[in-house]
Amino acid sequence: MRIGLLTDGGYPHANGESGLWCDRLVRGLAQHEFDLFALSRSAEQEERGWVPLPIQVGRVRTAPLWTADEDVPGTRAPRGLLARMVTGGHARPYGRRERQRFTAHLAALAASVCAAGAAGGERDASGGEAAAGGPGGDGRTSATADARFTQGLYGLAELAREHGGLTAALRSETAVRVLEAACRAPGTGRTVQTATVPDLLAFARELDRVLRPLSFDWYDEEGLGAVDLCHATSGGAAALPGLLAKRFFGVPLLVTEYGVQLRAHYLAATGTELNAPVRALLAGFHGRLATEVYRQAAVVTQGNAHARRWQERCGAEREKLRTVHPGMESERFTALGESGDSGPDDTLVWVGRIEPAKDLIALLHAFAEVRKAEPDTRLRIIGAPAPGPEGAAHLAHCRALAAQLFPDEATDAHAVGDNPVSFEDIGGAEVPELPDAYAAGGVVVLSSVTEGFPAGLVEAMFCGRATVSTDVGAVVEVIGGTGLVVPPRNPRALADACLALLRDPERRARLGAAARARALELFTVEQNLAAFRGIYLELISHSPVRREAEAVDADGGPRPFATPPEAHVLGPWAGPGAAPAGRTPSWAAAGPRTVCAGARGAGGGDA
Amino acid sequence: MGRPTEVSDAPAAPSTGGSWDLRSRALVSGPSAAGEPEPGPQRDAADPAGAAGPSGVPARAPEIARTASARRLSASRRGPADPVKSLMHRHRELCERAVDPLEVAAGLEAHGVTDRTAARYRHRDVFSLAEELFARVPGVAANPATGPEAPERDIATRAAWSLRALLPGAACLATVGALGFTEGTLEGRARLAVALAGALLAAAGLALALRSGPLHAEGRSSGAARVYGCWLLGYVLYGEPLLDQVLSGGPEGPWDITPAPLLGLALALAPATWCAHLFSVHAQRRLIGSRALEEFAAGVRPLLFGAIALHLCALAGLLYLAHLGYGGGGAFAGAAALGVLLLLARLLTVHGFPGLAAGGLAFACAAEALAPALVLAGRLPGLHFLARPVDLLVMTSGTGSVPAIACGGAALGLLVAATVVLSRASAHTTARPVDEGPVVA
Repeated sequence: MRIGLLTDGGYPHANGESGLWCDRLVRGLAQHEFDLFALSRSAEQEERGWVPLPIQVGRVRTAPLWTADEDVPGTRAPRGLLARMVTGGHARPYGRRERQRFTAHLAALAASVCAAGAAGGERDASGGEAAAGGPGGDGRTSATADARFTQGLYGLAELAREHGGLTAALRSETAVRVLEAACRAPGTGRTVQTATVPDLLAFARELDRVLRPLSFDWYDEEGLGAVDLCHATSGGAAALPGLLAKRFFGVPLLVTEYGVQLRAHYLAATGTELNAPVRALLAGFHGRLATEVYRQAAVVTQGNAHARRWQERCGAEREKLRTVHPGMESERFTALGESGDSGPDDTLVWVGRIEPAKDLIALLHAFAEVRKAEPDTRLRIIGAPAPGPEGAAHLAHCRALAAQLFPDEATDAHAVGDNPVSFEDIGGAEVPELPDAYAAGGVVVLSSVTEGFPAGLVEAMFCGRATVSTDVGAVVEVIGGTGLVVPPRNPRALADACLALLRDPERRARLGAAARARALELFTVEQNLAAFRGIYLELISHSPVRREAEAVDADGGPRPFATPPEAHVLGPWAGPGAAPAGRTPSWAAAGPRTVCAGARGAGGGDA
Repeated sequence: MGRPTEVSDAPAAPSTGGSWDLRSRALVSGPSAAGEPEPGPQRDAADPAGAAGPSGVPARAPEIARTASARRLSASRRGPADPVKSLMHRHRELCERAVDPLEVAAGLEAHGVTDRTAARYRHRDVFSLAEELFARVPGVAANPATGPEAPERDIATRAAWSLRALLPGAACLATVGALGFTEGTLEGRARLAVALAGALLAAAGLALALRSGPLHAEGRSSGAARVYGCWLLGYVLYGEPLLDQVLSGGPEGPWDITPAPLLGLALALAPATWCAHLFSVHAQRRLIGSRALEEFAAGVRPLLFGAIALHLCALAGLLYLAHLGYGGGGAFAGAAALGVLLLLARLLTVHGFPGLAAGGLAFACAAEALAPALVLAGRLPGLHFLARPVDLLVMTSGTGSVPAIACGGAALGLLVAATVVLSRASAHTTARPVDEGPVVA
């Protein structure tokens, strides 16, 4: 079947963020056709070109999100020869009826966004009920605002699809007036009320940027109408075309968020120079958009429980959420992992990029305590500094601290001494390859204070090494009892855990074997692909595609067996919980999954 | 995951405080007691109970247990009554800046706060901890409108475009001078060549002057508008003699062109540029300070009128000087109206309304072309009445009144339009801040 892969600043472009994962997905699921719909983030990115695409990629459509600050002329030329001659061919703004529609839809959107900003404090004061999906204190207000948001969003999308020119309209005075009225309306928050004219203009500009996908020419029968399933590789802007495809063509939507887009928005907004009202409005918009994406998506997948919590917080229903751990290459670690040795008893190894968030300072202090108990221990810090002068400066700091804490040592009076802490880089004489880095130590230590998905920890698990890590990010979820976990910023606890493992080779071997088994089960590329293959099939079985053109043969007569018999059953028969309650036999009520499996077997011939 | 932002407790190299020296000295100096008081708030934050973490390791190492109990003692002795307070103090900047509890949550997580950390503050998760922080930190009282500040004065850039704006006037002056100097020494053909060269030079100077500075329109001006502009300027030169000849039964004989108003107009480009600059800068300043769209519109309208009036005064002076210096006839009022019309059209183009500008120019062109056309049409048998209005007009107020009426009418129309559209806030976002550096493409 045909998958529409929606990416944002990613895949087909050479320097995309999620490029590797998408590439593996497209190459790994070769039985499907892929249409790529890519948003590009900068001119530089477009110039870099695309990665080589496999044969199963059918069409690639790209659209820029970065021309936001330029004056984009409308898509419609002025009507009439005279008007064109006189004005020199500039775009015609909306007519009266279109302007009325635009005003109404934008007003609905703006009102819901302002209300979201206002509800920020109160909604969260009413606490967990809203988060848990139950009726919160202001649940009805929130539902009304959500309804207005969707009305406005889809209204604007339909307008853009029929008439174009949304960009020009959003930059017009009409839009600013609508936004001003929405901000000054009673019931909006204090922050939003203080919006000044430059804030309104800035918000209109940002709104134009985030709503840019509404103006693309993807929404036709050849574009997103032709795909059987939309797979958005992130939330936010990339999921917006998926929402519209679902709205216009009924294409089911699958959203994969390895980093939650709303959270990324908050972190990115902290660094910008936008004023508080603009940030409040934008936060409201992104929050509502995330809620709508989660509501419309058939399945939302995420990489770890942390992302899952954020998604639940933004209103994603639990039954839609699937955790699909990221896949990593495991072949190169096989030899080391299967060798069965638990590594040298006297060496701790740390592998990663040397930067402040990794808290090497705490590691060095912990190692000082380890040395007090076991004077012969060595610590090998393997990795390159973060790029830039700051990374180099941090590396120099760490080296200085190591030299201060640990004087050089020599075996006897005539030998040249050496520091027990060594800083090495992969590719050097001692550590030619990454597996050699893990082979160098008996215990792999991770001392970060912040961490997303700890790739280094997974590599250590593939290598069958016992690990000691700090309890940050997804570490506990990844390690799952096959290594020791200590609180972050606690060198003493880190030292104690390292000592415990160094002194006990058997336990190290046991933990290492368990870690390798766990990693092979959860974090391989194969499991990632298998999970998505299953989700694709499941989704398509819930919404089988029936095209009129396929049900007739060349002469226009009906083709036998083109439509499965289930298609004649009244009502939606494949959706979970959609079967009419009164007529469901008791054996089928056990779970909708049985129904799905049957449907897939019968109708999934084209998949 | 997220990059840590610049908040106090970002894990950083021990570059500032001497605490790491202290600590490391204490560590290397000998075995320290378990309850030794240690500096640094992060020691407080260490979870006493979860030292081994929820790792599920069956046999907890004895070392861990011992240290844990020892540290619990010290923690309870020094523990503050309100643990959230210190956290709030540490993340005060984040909480004050945040517009939303979720933003606080995202920031906290970027600094390594997890649900297990939140449990220490008696919260179920980071979200509820963030809510408490967001609720407890008072918002920055009436946060000042720190928008994009008015652009800094950039003398060099201003001087650059001011000089460029002088180019067409200088070219015209040089041509006039050359023609006057060579009067009698060169024959007609050579003088024509000099005049043509001067005209080309002035046109090139005009193009250069409009490519940067406050009158630069970033590709918004259309070809049609340029053609209209050339026609209007050409009419200044040839319009009056043309109408004269047409009225007197021509065209025939030598043409008596009127270059003085054109010279004045060329010189007036520099004040026009400065008027546009003043308008744009003051409008930006007003935009930053205004809280409502109506307030902004009410503030901008006087600015526009002021800029136009200033330009009109300067233009009148220059036209008078050119008239004094060069002599000869020429439509004084018509040239002044044309100057205002051109400035208004350019302002509208710069602020994103090229269609309006082109329309105004087209109206003026049509009116100017209509006058001779009507006269010519009046020569046809039975169509005398067509020439009557022009005849009347010329009889009462001379040939110069035709461009004055045409350009004046168009300028008035554009002024009304500009009063409406240039008082919109959205018109001042497309305009590039004037001093933002040269755009010499």
